[in-house]
Amino acid sequence: MKPVSLTGPVTFSLIIAVIFQLIPVSGDWILWRPNFLMLVMIAWVLYQPSRFGIGFAALVGLLADTLFRTALGHYVLVFALCGAVAYLLSRWLTYFSYFHRAVLIFLLVVFSELLQALLFSIWDVPMGLQHVPVLGFVSAIVWLLVDKSIASLNFMYRS
Amino acid sequence: MKNVFAKSSSPLRKIFLVSLVAFGLMTLDNSTSWLSPLYRVADSVVRPLYWITNIPARVQEWGEVNVTSRTVIEQENVRLKQESLIYLGQLQRMAELAAENLRLRQLLNATELLVDSVLVTEVIGVSPSPQSHTVTVDRGSDDGVYVGQPILDAEGLMGQIISVYGGHSVALLITDSTHALPVQVLRNGVRSIAEGTSDYNRMTLRFVSPTSDIVEGDQLVSSGLGGRFPVGYPVGTVASISQKPGDTFVDVEVDPSAQLDRSRHLLLVFTSKDGSPDRNGR
Repeated sequence: MKPVSLTGPVTFSLIIAVIFQLIPVSGDWILWRPNFLMLVMIAWVLYQPSRFGIGFAALVGLLADTLFRTALGHYVLVFALCGAVAYLLSRWLTYFSYFHRAVLIFLLVVFSELLQALLFSIWDVPMGLQHVPVLGFVSAIVWLLVDKSIASLNFMYRS
Repeated sequence: MKNVFAKSSSPLRKIFLVSLVAFGLMTLDNSTSWLSPLYRVADSVVRPLYWITNIPARVQEWGEVNVTSRTVIEQENVRLKQESLIYLGQLQRMAELAAENLRLRQLLNATELLVDSVLVTEVIGVSPSPQSHTVTVDRGSDDGVYVGQPILDAEGLMGQIISVYGGHSVALLITDSTHALPVQVLRNGVRSIAEGTSDYNRMTLRFVSPTSDIVEGDQLVSSGLGGRFPVGYPVGTVASISQKPGDTFVDVEVDPSAQLDRSRHLLLVFTSKDGSPDRNGR
């Protein structure tokens, strides 16, 4: 049986993520805004690991690079590594509760921020890490909504 | 026998390949401008989405205009009339000072004064990355905007234009870590360079000697050196001065004058040598 194409729902979810990413927020809040593109990417990797893996994560990273105006390759690397973790754990994570998956997201966000700080330091761009715990917590909360939404989209197109 | 569980490529190999490509791209992007057309394409694609992302701000503006009681509007009207009177008074004094300044410059055979005209613009997008302090404004090359053009808000200098498109432009803010501008202390003319720190509320002055006459509360204005920014626009106020033991220079932190993360309506500065209004009637 030919698998159902998921191009539509994936594109739709990425456009929504881009819109949420672009909504202007004041400087005090921008540090705590979750990376919606990364959350959506992880959700698709978790729900469809056979179709969306490390290559998909890298492509979404390329989109993030052009959107965030970072050096091309910066988010490609960060997303690919986070996507790889999600990909390798996807078989177990589908049996995990929402809470446990949210804990993983917290850890992934912390990992991605540390990796970004390391990459920025190579190019002499200062990046503080004081905001990371709050960002991880906010991302974990938002993840619950992203997880539910992508699960519904995935279920809708599979059935 | 063929292994039915074999995968096309191991994840480790993929990670290695992607990492290699990513580092190659980063090096290329940081050392050349070959990949800049990609950013231009992405900007053009994303631009329509700004209309959607600005809906909350537009709703708020609409609410402020339409869902306001008559009493509040009347009070605001009275306040604005009083402010207008005060500013008109100050303007008369400014006109007198400007004329006197021009006369003195002519006496000294100094170069003629630069006269700035401005164009009002609106912020339609803000960089989603905390590390990159840029804003997208709704004026582009169609309105005569050019790369390097200074941009202000009502409080002070905000930054400069770095990319120009047909109907919109991208401006780099003065707090971006890659930005630096020449400033001088308004009180005594001491010159320095103000650098961004990736924090919307902080800038730093580099290489300030401990013997420099700079104190907390000093107002900094653009010095005009380098010719990029016009002279005399407020940049910030010295917030703190400290020196670590063993350091040759003092750490001077500056609180920017402009509302960098809040201002919505900005001014693009056009500098011309005559005071005549340009083709757009600015």
